Amino acid sequence: MLYLELLIQGLVQGGIYTLIALGLTLVYGLLRILHVAHAALFTLGGYLGVILTNATGSLALAMVLTMLVTGVVGMGVYRVAYQPILDKPPYVALIASIALFIASEEIYRLVFGPYGLSYDAPPLQGVIDLFGSGMYLKQAELLVLAGTGAALIGLHLLSTRTRIGIAWRATVTDPEMAASFGIRTQRVRYLNFFIGSALAAAAGVMVALLNNLVEPTMGSVPSYKALAIIVLGGIGSIRGTLIASLALGVIESFGTIYLGSLLDRDAIAFAFLILVLMWRPQGLLGRT
Amino acid sequence: MTTPMIRPALLGLMLALTAGPALAETAKIGFNAPLTGFAAADGNSARIGAELAVEQANADGGINGQQIELVVYDDQASPKSAVPIANKLIEKDQVVVGVSGSYSGATRAASGVFQAAGVPYIAAYAVHPDITRSGDYVFRTSFVGEVQGRAGAKLIGETLGKKRVVVITLKNDFGQSLAAGFKEKAADYGIEVVAEYEYGIKDRQFGAIVAKVKDDNPDAIYASGYFFTAAPLVSQLRSGGVTVPVIGQEGYDSQKFIEIAQDNAEGIIITTSLDRDSDAAPTRTFIEAFEGKAGFKADMVAASAHTATNVAIEAMRAAGTTDRAAIRDAIAGLTLEASTGTISFNELGEVQKNVQVQVVQDGDWHRHSVISDAELLAPPAE
Amino acid sequence: MGYEITLATSMCISVVFALSLNLITGFCGQISLGHAAFFGVGAYTAALSSQAGLAFPLDLLAAAAAAAVFGFIVGLSSLRVRHDFLAITTMGFGFLFLGVVRQQDWLGGEMGISAIPGSGLSKLGYLGFVAAVAVAVALFSAYLKRSWLGFSFAAIADDEDTARVVALDVARYKLLAFVLGTAIAGIAGGLYAHHVRFISPDSFGFVESIAVLSMVIVGGIGSVPGVVFAALVLTALPLWFQVIEDYKLLLYSALLFIMMQLCEDGIGGLMRRLMQGRRRTT
Repeated sequence: MLYLELLIQGLVQGGIYTLIALGLTLVYGLLRILHVAHAALFTLGGYLGVILTNATGSLALAMVLTMLVTGVVGMGVYRVAYQPILDKPPYVALIASIALFIASEEIYRLVFGPYGLSYDAPPLQGVIDLFGSGMYLKQAELLVLAGTGAALIGLHLLSTRTRIGIAWRATVTDPEMAASFGIRTQRVRYLNFFIGSALAAAAGVMVALLNNLVEPTMGSVPSYKALAIIVLGGIGSIRGTLIASLALGVIESFGTIYLGSLLDRDAIAFAFLILVLMWRPQGLLGRT
Repeated sequence: MTTPMIRPALLGLMLALTAGPALAETAKIGFNAPLTGFAAADGNSARIGAELAVEQANADGGINGQQIELVVYDDQASPKSAVPIANKLIEKDQVVVGVSGSYSGATRAASGVFQAAGVPYIAAYAVHPDITRSGDYVFRTSFVGEVQGRAGAKLIGETLGKKRVVVITLKNDFGQSLAAGFKEKAADYGIEVVAEYEYGIKDRQFGAIVAKVKDDNPDAIYASGYFFTAAPLVSQLRSGGVTVPVIGQEGYDSQKFIEIAQDNAEGIIITTSLDRDSDAAPTRTFIEAFEGKAGFKADMVAASAHTATNVAIEAMRAAGTTDRAAIRDAIAGLTLEASTGTISFNELGEVQKNVQVQVVQDGDWHRHSVISDAELLAPPAE
Repeated sequence: MGYEITLATSMCISVVFALSLNLITGFCGQISLGHAAFFGVGAYTAALSSQAGLAFPLDLLAAAAAAAVFGFIVGLSSLRVRHDFLAITTMGFGFLFLGVVRQQDWLGGEMGISAIPGSGLSKLGYLGFVAAVAVAVALFSAYLKRSWLGFSFAAIADDEDTARVVALDVARYKLLAFVLGTAIAGIAGGLYAHHVRFISPDSFGFVESIAVLSMVIVGGIGSVPGVVFAALVLTALPLWFQVIEDYKLLLYSALLFIMMQLCEDGIGGLMRRLMQGRRRTT
């Protein structure tokens, strides 16, 4: 029973990682940029989610608005930060992204204060007894699992059933060929950032629900963890990202309990990463 | 040729070198705290607490007629930043006393500098035992981690009568010293430490620990942390179905803890230095004045900084001179009724006082009990 | 003058640290996001060995050796993965190092190591020593760049596969770059330990790795004078900005961001372009 609970907790954590890492892998797959600033959008989602829920009283409305607004901000980040430097060496985008992330943490602190924000009346705090087993799952945790599933299904449908989705897959696979077929690369890029950022925002809202706390620095751990995940999963592979996220969540869950005296959470995650990469340098599901 | 970069660099250099003490008419107290970075919340509270002490003293006419100035620098809770700041306070700003409103790492690094320069330094709430071991110029106005941990053992084992305890420890010097003190005295009060789990200061998801604790089924939980880790931890424990008492320490001591954990905060007990229900005048006036100045309720960090700054001010008054050595002696011989209790120091510069136990009732901190066992609470003397 | 002296000492230590990364990332093109770990290995080795009785400056050699061993191991990973993957692997090693140190009591754990012996020199004397090391490392870097080894490094940085084709033993040179760069970082760490005399895991984390990488990139990847200048300025910058305290991190990151947008080859590149401009007009 304990192991099952640890597993479920690991999957919840993995779900959060998935939502964040998906956006990152989408960007990397398309532009080969390590979009560290992605975590800033995660934090933005958290803040907007709390502020809008407190203002409107409706979590659902707040979630939709937050995802939309953050998606647009994400597009803005592409336009302002990355588009001008696409032709420069890769470390330029990395440093610019890191700088943007640090700046965002500071802006959140200056605007919202260092103490963080909480919901006035946290929604979805109710607890569900799983099949009467005595294992309790918060409604918010259920939302994470459901949300992750929905995001994946949504992405799958988008990329296989819609024109823009197919255009997007084509651009990722072979940008020049896609362009020569008349696909508007700019549009694909904007869509990419919009979706990725919206997903990160959703993750931010959900984390806020789980903790009832949003802080300026809440993105600092996701900023580097998500990088590890997309590398672990194999660049550009959504399935790989999913597997890596869930695997990491579960490994951290068991690791912190049983290996906690040897290593801390981050070290466990990265030890796992290094081991996998030494065995398979292209990541779990990456193509050689 | 390289003028675009050289000019602003030279300007900056000149600014830095000339940013010396402008007014020699004010008595200066140095203050380092994390105003940016992950610890900005505590640093901000500490700063307001210290500023309040200075304002109150200035309103009373200052020290021997002189106004007091608090020189504040942001150390980001980083030892690397704290050292140059300490040097700057001592040399450029010519502070008479230094007060640390920062965490242990930064305080420890700075204390070495102050000791070497012969300028008194008072740590407000940092718990690292080596801080006062830097020398006779360094003092601390709050509990060493181990002492508070021992108090926790008596609280749980004797006052609350719980015997099977799970310890959840924040993995830094604060959490580990608390856990060490607790475990040291646990057996004396009949406590069996069923298990111990650790977490990092950045962790907010404790699902795995909650699951394991449920499996362990203890009578009580002794958990260390700061409000931003403890509030999510407590909430998640309660939602996970863990109903046993949770006992924390002064890291929880902030209204924010209650705001974040909401109903889950009810009944949480902590060992701390600030008694909200105190009748003592210094405590009452501090609590009211702080809320008036800051706009939010006082927390332990603010109270400690307020106390430490007042110790500095009183010592300066008693010494009657800006001679650092005389002020150091004044601090050493001081007995002061401050917001966090009666302050007096032993040979090491550690304070001996009672431990306040507070509990959350109806959404606010209130007095639960007091632990006054002098032998148990004796601070290290060397 | 004590304040200025300690500040100058910090700046010189940063120069050594930044130049060490410049060797790996700048000269040899291997992006490392975990360089602070080697700085940390050096610091801890120097701290522990000097507490055990090893005299300064011999403990610096121990620091260099320990860092180089760790650097060799990490360097091996660079043979398996490249570019972005390598960046993240090195980041991982950084976290792993911290994770281990935090749990080991003999390494001080969370408490860190206090009461590290001083160098035995006066403040000014120590500054002189550190400055001398900085100058030596700078000269060594400049020499290395023009040497056959430097040329090989540059070839690998430019295009690893082609370098392999022209019979360059890429693996050996990459490892050498890592060993040299991390050894020097270890020396910087040892100098730091004796300067601040208290070390804890917090000072060797991801943020520090990013900070030193920023120095290399702002200075101009590969450019020795550029990196030296950037290290000096960026170390002192947070202290200058004390005037606008609350905004200093924001300003620092904004500066970095703008620099990436406008002149990504850093100060070194800027200087190079200006010099070329001059030559053309004469």
